[in-house]
Amino acid sequence: MAILPERKLPEEAEIPTASMADIAFLLIIFFMLTTVFTRDKGLKIVLPEKTQQVVKIKGERIIKISINDRGEIFLGEEPITLADLKVRVQQRIKDYKQAHGGKDPLVVIRTNVDAPYERMIDVFDVIKQIPEARAVSLASIRTGGGG
Amino acid sequence: MRRQRLKKEGKISIPTASMSDIAFLLLIFFMVSTVFRKEIGLKVTLPEARATERIVKTRNIAHVYIDKNGRISVDDVIVQPKDVTLRFKLKLAENPAIIAHVKADKRVKYNYVDKVLEALREAKALRVVFATDYKR
Repeated sequence: MAILPERKLPEEAEIPTASMADIAFLLIIFFMLTTVFTRDKGLKIVLPEKTQQVVKIKGERIIKISINDRGEIFLGEEPITLADLKVRVQQRIKDYKQAHGGKDPLVVIRTNVDAPYERMIDVFDVIKQIPEARAVSLASIRTGGGG
Repeated sequence: MRRQRLKKEGKISIPTASMSDIAFLLLIFFMVSTVFRKEIGLKVTLPEARATERIVKTRNIAHVYIDKNGRISVDDVIVQPKDVTLRFKLKLAENPAIIAHVKADKRVKYNYVDKVLEALREAKALRVVFATDYKR
């Protein structure tokens, strides 16, 4: 081709592909950075099965935490702050276990139906952080009716 | 040319012609293997909790959304609490290991959450996860 000085033949057309890899990797990196992984996460609980017969649990085995309609927290009957709750419940569990030969007490969170959901999660979160609290149950209180 | 290379070890180059093929192959692989979530759900602000755990078995998850006005959504349909029971019964028949992921707005009254929990109990969907965000 070079020998013949004929300029009439068209030159071979070529698409420059050298930067193709750069483009492709750029795309990959772009998608990697913009991808948001939505992993499902949360607080696990297993609900009790609905049975016909009523399971009776001794009153002393229950550690009762109540949340009223204004979102105030009570351990038993006395008001308590979220910060104190962990230590107090931990102590109650420890005491019960010592008195009853290692048997687990039942922590019941009773939430008023008008209380904000966030409050119940706050309390449940605190209980979840106590490794000794193995049995946790949720209940609701209807204003005026009790739970 | 040949003589030169023998003597002087001329220009060495890595063949990069197939690099773009590799890159595009990777791109296509990721495009095909990505699973998009179809459910839109409702707009909720999740509460935060320190004890938040990740759910490993993502295939068994069914979402229940409760927004701040107490609307309940399952499979992108606004439902009444009693319909949650029906829908979850069907889901459980398909997959007995289903986990109900309750995505409730933190400002919602507990009443709505309680009704959903009752409905789930009715359907025997006993494994429940309250959706929360990590608290820092």
